[in-house]
Amino acid sequence: MKHTLLNNWSTRLCKLTGGLLTAVLLTACASAPLPPTEQLDAARAAITTAEQAEARQFAQSELEDARARLALAEEAVVAEDMSTAEHLALQSRVTAELALARTEATKAAAINREMQRSADAMDEEMQRQGDQ
Amino acid sequence: MNLPTFLTSGSATTAATTLVLTSILLTGCAAVPSAPTGSMEVRNKLNTLQNDAQTVQYARVELREADEAVTLAEQPLDADETELAEHRVYMANTMIEIAKSKASVRMAEADRTEMGQRLDAARLAARTAEADRAAADAAKARSSEAAVLAATARETEELRQQILALEAKPTDRGLVLTLGDVLFATGSADIQGGSNQNLEKLANFLTRYPDRDVTIEGHTDNTGTASFNQTLSQQRADSVRRYLIERNIASNRMTTSGLGLDHPVASNDTATGRQQNRRVEVIIADTQ
Repeated sequence: MKHTLLNNWSTRLCKLTGGLLTAVLLTACASAPLPPTEQLDAARAAITTAEQAEARQFAQSELEDARARLALAEEAVVAEDMSTAEHLALQSRVTAELALARTEATKAAAINREMQRSADAMDEEMQRQGDQ
Repeated sequence: MNLPTFLTSGSATTAATTLVLTSILLTGCAAVPSAPTGSMEVRNKLNTLQNDAQTVQYARVELREADEAVTLAEQPLDADETELAEHRVYMANTMIEIAKSKASVRMAEADRTEMGQRLDAARLAARTAEADRAAADAAKARSSEAAVLAATARETEELRQQILALEAKPTDRGLVLTLGDVLFATGSADIQGGSNQNLEKLANFLTRYPDRDVTIEGHTDNTGTASFNQTLSQQRADSVRRYLIERNIASNRMTTSGLGLDHPVASNDTATGRQQNRRVEVIIADTQ
């Protein structure tokens, strides 16, 4: 008798727990339905910076990747999938940063090659004059 | 209400509930412990960079940030959280790439400083060489300019050398070559010794410059009468003229005059002065 009662209690308890759990999970793991404005702005700013550094010319694919991810993030906001939107915005930002870094690296290498070339040319010229 | 009843209905039940709740919660928010796909690759990639001394030197901050991103990507996730797992791996991978690029930018900048110094040195050397060359060119130009004037210039120089050799003095009358009295015996108009170095030079000079005429003047000291001295000076001037005619100098180029004692160049009161006054002056006219 007591055992049955206990079982009964247990059943009710589980139901209750389930309800509580759902509430807890919803609060803990689901995203707040606010768009990730900060991350989206950061992504846009990073893309602008990269563009200003002529990433279009030196790191076109990275720049386009960053733009595509930003577009997807904006679509996710519309679809109210804010978690995905935030991830895509973050990805867009780092991709734009990579576009900038690669642009700078390419430019730096080009400048060095040019310097090397003129240094070599000058050495050669000196050599030539020395031979005269 | 069931709940208050339940909560007050015994400690055993409460303990059991807590246990169940805890285990459910753990299952719900924590993950099945497995490293997300791709996290190992990013870790390996990062390790490679961290073992590269130059990357560590030039992209320390970026490497640390990438390391944090990789560590996050390695956190175990539930099987249904592949989107998050992929996101973290993507972030980590991109940050590694950024570190790599930043390192190469800064490495290039460092190289540039060194190269700039080398280039400056080369430029300096080039400028020095250029200056040397310009100086050499100028010298060459000067010498070629001189070469254009070579005919006259060389002649001028030669003449100068010849005049120098003659020991003739430029005066307003022209070049004056003084032949001392050692040329003649006292009271004699004959040239001593047959050959005289100064006369030789004069002959050579007149041979070389046939358009130059000369005036030969004889002078004496005040010893003896004026007429004697005049005659003697004329004879001595004529002696020189004869000598030059013997050396094939045209006679019409030479005029002689005996000026006697009227033009002393030194005092007749001393022996030395008188010796200086006994002389023949050869005046070489300037051309034109």
